[in-house]
Amino acid sequence: MARMRFDLTLLLLFAFGSFLFFSAVSADLVISKLDRRIDLSSHIVRATTSLKVENNGAEAISEFLLPFPEHQAKNLALLTVIIVEGKGKSKVSSESLPVRIVNPKDSPPSLVWYSITLPKELGKGGSLNLEIKVALSNILRPFPEKITQADVQLIVFQDSAQVLSPYAVHMQSLTVKLPEPKVESYTKLENTKFSGSEIKYGPYENQPPFTYTPLAVHYVSNKPFVVARELVREIEISHWGNVQVTESYSLVHAGAVILGEFSRLEYQAQPHLRGASAFRHLIAKLPARAHSIYYRDDIGNISTSNVWGDSSMTLLQIEPRFPMFGGWKTTFTIGYGLPLKDFLFKSGGERFLNIPFGSPIDDLVIDNLTVKIVLPEGSKITSVSVPFSVKQSKQEKISHLDVVGRPVVVLEKTNVVPEHSQYFQVYYKFSNLSLLQEPLMLVFGYFLLFVACIAYVRADFTISKSSPSYLAKLQWDEVRSTIQQFEGVVNQCLIVHDKLQASLRDLSRTGDLQACKAARKTADSTLKELLKDLKPLISFLQSSPQAAQILPKVEELVAKEKELQEKIMQKHSIVVESYDKKSGIKDTENRVTALEQKIVLLRQEVDDLVDTIDEI
Amino acid sequence: MAPSVKPISSPVPIEWYPTLAFFMLSIGLVVTAIFFIYEATSSRKNRSLAKELSTGAVASFFLGFGSLFLLLASGVYV
Repeated sequence: MARMRFDLTLLLLFAFGSFLFFSAVSADLVISKLDRRIDLSSHIVRATTSLKVENNGAEAISEFLLPFPEHQAKNLALLTVIIVEGKGKSKVSSESLPVRIVNPKDSPPSLVWYSITLPKELGKGGSLNLEIKVALSNILRPFPEKITQADVQLIVFQDSAQVLSPYAVHMQSLTVKLPEPKVESYTKLENTKFSGSEIKYGPYENQPPFTYTPLAVHYVSNKPFVVARELVREIEISHWGNVQVTESYSLVHAGAVILGEFSRLEYQAQPHLRGASAFRHLIAKLPARAHSIYYRDDIGNISTSNVWGDSSMTLLQIEPRFPMFGGWKTTFTIGYGLPLKDFLFKSGGERFLNIPFGSPIDDLVIDNLTVKIVLPEGSKITSVSVPFSVKQSKQEKISHLDVVGRPVVVLEKTNVVPEHSQYFQVYYKFSNLSLLQEPLMLVFGYFLLFVACIAYVRADFTISKSSPSYLAKLQWDEVRSTIQQFEGVVNQCLIVHDKLQASLRDLSRTGDLQACKAARKTADSTLKELLKDLKPLISFLQSSPQAAQILPKVEELVAKEKELQEKIMQKHSIVVESYDKKSGIKDTENRVTALEQKIVLLRQEVDDLVDTIDEI
Repeated sequence: MAPSVKPISSPVPIEWYPTLAFFMLSIGLVVTAIFFIYEATSSRKNRSLAKELSTGAVASFFLGFGSLFLLLASGVYV
């Protein structure tokens, strides 16, 4: 309470002082009507001021000054000013006007001045309707500061009944909206009314500039006071189809600190009486079509969560491992994947990522927010466009299948409220060919394995090149290669035999005698050549000592094959002859059947021999 | 006069990733088997370097792309 009084006296002192300094400058602009609405229903104080300013002076004014006491300016998270024209249904709002901090020469201390640049100069006698939205974080003080588990949380909000302005205000009113329709105590000034869950101060008429009447509202608020001391959001883009968002939170309950011990039994028996100031659930609104959502912390996965999805958004409800009482902290990580086509676009020659900036958790104040956007390897960042001021820097990150590393854009901001969850863009250049770099790297890796295999098989690592076992192995290798060649030749002979049989079948189908004779001729010549190839192989096998086992089989095979050849030739000649003589079918059949059977038998034996040689 | 804005998506439809991974890996493994059978059954004189390298190249191509799609299908978006 002592601190409160000190603040008030200080403010009253400079309020009178500054009136003397600024009366000359601000005599031109006059605020004719001002309506302020302060919303205390969450732990972020949102004040909406709609005012009508008139230019009563002779010069045109192009800027509008807005001062804030220092303790409020420190916690000012958002300040947007728009021009509103029309009333009711035909309301037209302009875009947010540029706001900057100025330092007027003779400003009283502990005031921060914001200057709003008007798009068009306000001429003499002109009037303008402005709407100012202010969001203040961390400005509500719990009072008492320490409560037990069974107490309700009481908050004190301090402000002024009249708006702090360098201009004279003809009529103003203030409405304070409380979260619940009851209040512990509030400053009773003139024209104060409390009804429902709203306290109305005003209307106050003809207030000179810098009037400041302090007021304090002491009320019950059991809304969750969720403050993230630190949040790191990492957005990783993969052109193969996914935007992966990983958020690591470090949350604290920034309300009244819990005093004494926490009784789980009492909390679970009567959660509303013994634990009204705690919160259990947090709701996060993720973009639609978010998939692969996980919620974990250092210990592991946290299973107390729920997901509901529809076509406009995915709702994630998470429950930390314990209910959060005042002063308690928790850390966790949330991750989810998003489809690429909702967030990555191509315009002109560049690609850009369009994604929300802040955290998806409802009503969260973030003290330090770091957003890292990781772009795929081989991309060149051109520009980043964020609708409010952030601190930018660049980093490198090495991730899956990376050679040089991925470029990272790091955006940092302090004092972030949910109103900052607007879309921002990162522009970069990337050629589609760079996408092939990853599979080609894998292909090259596997190819190196195969080359290593080839080198190993061809390398000769024997120490002594003249030992008998080594020489025997060499000889055996040679025998094996000769046998393989021999087998190749035999297979070719068999193929020729098959061709002859096929030509006979063709003859019976088409009756084309000439083709048959031609086939016979080619078969004869091929067989002669193959026989010639066979001779050096057999002579080598006969000369080498290692082939002693195989040689008899090989010779048997050659003999059988010769027999088979003869028989097939015989059959062929008989059939051709009978066709020539045009004797009946039955005749040819009789002569051929015996031969046919022998041919089949021989063929089988040849095949068996080939198999046995193969197995050796 | 604003340039047209088109959404970008992956070059291959995402639904195909598991199927592509399976088929490319199986073809790659079959060609690898052919390669190793050739290595095992051929003798020193008969081996042809061209055949070995070509089989190895085809096998590594299919294995490389197959393992890329396997990684993508299992959620590691490289």
